[in-house]
Amino acid sequence: MEAAILIGLLASGVRFAVPLALAALGETVSQRAGVLNVGIEGVMLIGALAAVLCAVWTGSPWLGLLGAIVAGVLFASIHALFAVILKADQIVSGIALFLLGIGLSGFVFRLTLGSGGRPPGQVPGFRPLDLGPLGEIPFAGPVLFQHNALVYLTVVAVAAVAFLLARTGWGLSLRAAGENPEAVRAAGLDATRLRVVAVLVGGGFAGAGGAFLSIAQLNGFVENMVAGRGFIAIACVVFGRWNPVGAVLVALAFGMTEAAQIRLQILYPALPHQFFVMLPYVAAIVALVLMRARSGQPAALGR
Amino acid sequence: MNAVAASVGVALRGRLVLGVAVGAGFLALLLGLLALTGRDPLTVAWTMASYGFLDPNGRAETVVRAIPLCLMGLGVAIAFRAGAFNIGADGQLIAGSALAMAAVPFLVGLPGWIGAAAFLLVAAAGGGAWGGVAGWLRARFGANEIIVTIMLNYVALQLLSWLIRGPMQERMRMLPRSDALPVPFRLPVVLDGTRIHAGVWIALAATVLLALVLRRTVFGYRLDMVGRNPAAARVGGIGDRGVVVAAMLVGGALCGLAGAVEIAGLHFRLQEGIAVGYGITAIAIALLARTEPLAVPVAAVALAALYVGGAAVQRQFAVPFPTVKMVEGLIVFAFLAFVALRRPGARGG
Repeated sequence: MEAAILIGLLASGVRFAVPLALAALGETVSQRAGVLNVGIEGVMLIGALAAVLCAVWTGSPWLGLLGAIVAGVLFASIHALFAVILKADQIVSGIALFLLGIGLSGFVFRLTLGSGGRPPGQVPGFRPLDLGPLGEIPFAGPVLFQHNALVYLTVVAVAAVAFLLARTGWGLSLRAAGENPEAVRAAGLDATRLRVVAVLVGGGFAGAGGAFLSIAQLNGFVENMVAGRGFIAIACVVFGRWNPVGAVLVALAFGMTEAAQIRLQILYPALPHQFFVMLPYVAAIVALVLMRARSGQPAALGR
Repeated sequence: MNAVAASVGVALRGRLVLGVAVGAGFLALLLGLLALTGRDPLTVAWTMASYGFLDPNGRAETVVRAIPLCLMGLGVAIAFRAGAFNIGADGQLIAGSALAMAAVPFLVGLPGWIGAAAFLLVAAAGGGAWGGVAGWLRARFGANEIIVTIMLNYVALQLLSWLIRGPMQERMRMLPRSDALPVPFRLPVVLDGTRIHAGVWIALAATVLLALVLRRTVFGYRLDMVGRNPAAARVGGIGDRGVVVAAMLVGGALCGLAGAVEIAGLHFRLQEGIAVGYGITAIAIALLARTEPLAVPVAAVALAALYVGGAAVQRQFAVPFPTVKMVEGLIVFAFLAFVALRRPGARGG
């Protein structure tokens, strides 16, 4: 393969990985506290729309990102209310969240941008940063140092989440809430509160992941634009064995798959493009099949 | 006796009050959202809720839409019974439809209704395979069936997109769709002046059959045992893995059947519009019916009417169609709230 193609593949793989990584990071926090949220696809949709609306309204992509995070937290609070406080079935609540996310994002989109609103090109989005000499390093420059600020923020977020979960008292309590909530209560801590916070953090990350799709990649909102990435992010968490760094590395692999399938479509125009489009979805199934042992799964996940 | 009657009365009244309170809360939320459209929210909500029942055309369309929703709701419900979440009803519908349409050239020689029956059976086999794979991957490798079935939806959508532009495209090669289904395979209209076709009998027959299987057969008993407590079932000699695979297989077969019924009764072709996202609605149906097969047609009619009402308010008031999905989400949450608050010792209740 020519170097230029490889560089392009790796660089765009990184960009495709970021929304998955952000969502998977949030889902890791939530699942480590024992709460499964299968509705993050819906949260990402809400985040993607909120980002575009806030960015267009304020003219700033940063306020768009902030709006997406706030919207993600608020939307995930529904899941916190039902799955944690009311102790409803976590999976059913997640599916309802997914449904509501599709409906609400489509509804608000058609009432605002969808009815003769701004065309995608005019959304103020994130632009690649100019990192000076770093960006000019051969090979590593274009692959690693010519991205927008959100990509680097994601790297910071991974380190922060990994540190918080593994090395702080709060992280220990949070993980305990996912392993044995009764023990957490016996120790005088509020397991319900820990879980609520974890779900809200997960929502904020999923919202940010949606924002990356809409104001850093596409510069616009399209109904159902998340296209299953919320579910792939859950596969990343499982395959990453509930470890934040692991989940993000798996997300990177999926990002590369997505970048590769687009290039394969161009390289092999004689083959039906549909077979390339389905690659990331097939890869997610393969990942779940390969991940046979459940080691690392929080003991109290789902209850 | 009086004391028992009185306590039953109190319990019933308690449920009623709770149901009304939860319903009113969610209705207020919905009206608030509808008010965002700038129309009168009460008029919009009333039209949406009633059009599918009160308007004669709306009523017929409700039945037409309820046919696939009932079959798919049954397909999701049987998986629920075994403790599995089948989010892939759309993919199974596509797999069944595609396989059945591909089989048509081999079936045209068969006499009369045998060909039509074979068409439906092939679709059930295709859907069953698509669902069964997800069940098998869960049983054999512990792969989460929620994610696998969702991923298989996307794979099926891409396969469909390829088939109707490639090997199965119509002879004219004009549009992305297959040739029309030969007339002998089609389901007749059962009510003149409407689009209601014989699929309605198929859906009802499947409902009764599934109810009988769940109540009267060893398979139904095993399914319930595994769904309620897989560990206890295993101790009792019931292998939970085989039961999960069987439930996903039968569920997928019902969804594949739904696809064949839609084609033979309504679309007559394989085309992109055959999967319109009924799969997630089928989950709401199975939940509202509490996985009881005999309740599935009732829930299917209710949500079919919501679809028809949603289309009506889009035509009449330009209220966006995704409102339907939004209402479905709110209905499932209202259901969850009702269940959670009714539970003894629930917080906040």
